[in-house]
Amino acid sequence: MKDKTNKKPVLVIPCSGIGKVHGLLTREATYLVTDEMAPEQTETMCLGLLVKGEADAVEAVKNQPCITIDGCPKMCAEKNVKSAGGNPIVVEVIDTLKKHPGAKPGSATDLSDEGWDIAREIATKAADTAARLYGGNEGIR
Amino acid sequence: MSEEITKAGIISCSGEAIPEGTIARLAVRHVLESLRPGKTVTLCLPLFLAGEEGEQNFAKTHPTIAIDGCPKQCAKWGTEKHSGSIGGEIVVSEILGTTATSCSRSLRGASQVDKDAVLAVAEKIAAEVDRVLAHAGLAKSS
Repeated sequence: MKDKTNKKPVLVIPCSGIGKVHGLLTREATYLVTDEMAPEQTETMCLGLLVKGEADAVEAVKNQPCITIDGCPKMCAEKNVKSAGGNPIVVEVIDTLKKHPGAKPGSATDLSDEGWDIAREIATKAADTAARLYGGNEGIR
Repeated sequence: MSEEITKAGIISCSGEAIPEGTIARLAVRHVLESLRPGKTVTLCLPLFLAGEEGEQNFAKTHPTIAIDGCPKQCAKWGTEKHSGSIGGEIVVSEILGTTATSCSRSLRGASQVDKDAVLAVAEKIAAEVDRVLAHAGLAKSS
């Protein structure tokens, strides 16, 4: 259940890139935030639906604080959210992976135990950002 | 001499808000890794939508199948917008019906029901890969 105040939930949108483990890390980090760490203050949405231009999705990224989690330097989630009119704060998977040189986080299909630890680290960063954004104007265009 | 088409593209919606998006994504990975390795290439929808020409050109020159979680068919819409008509389409909710509502969005909560759902969708995708590649071969030879 979402917070009963009038504060709008922070949107957490991963890139979900399908070719590498990086995309899976963005996706599972997002669910750790929205389902476990901050379920009342955050929610996710389908990136594809946003790009397709569905009115509710476009309205949401324009009026709710937004965080994108991007797996690679191509920054597809950020680019697509910006194209739809949002102004996201970006969490980059690469920043966390750099702290774990030689790590084997798994594959695009499944995460190793080490991968789950890294996903949780990324999620913690996103949850901390969401706590800062919740109820404010940062992360909104 | 015309080039023979031996690979099909598969593009998953991977819709983050619904379990069907996760099933679409995992089924695509299963086809790529186990059911039709060497015959399939996955295209990254966010990269595709962000304007990556390599992904868009592949879908223009190879038969590409859109795997969507729900009837909104965002992957099909994006592919057709940037690369023209698609070779095939699969909608997970049409295959699974209400079964998917009990599935998990995260891999953490995946049960046997989730695994069975992924396999059922993957079999449909593999059959669609065979169909579009056969059709492409016929089109080239005619």
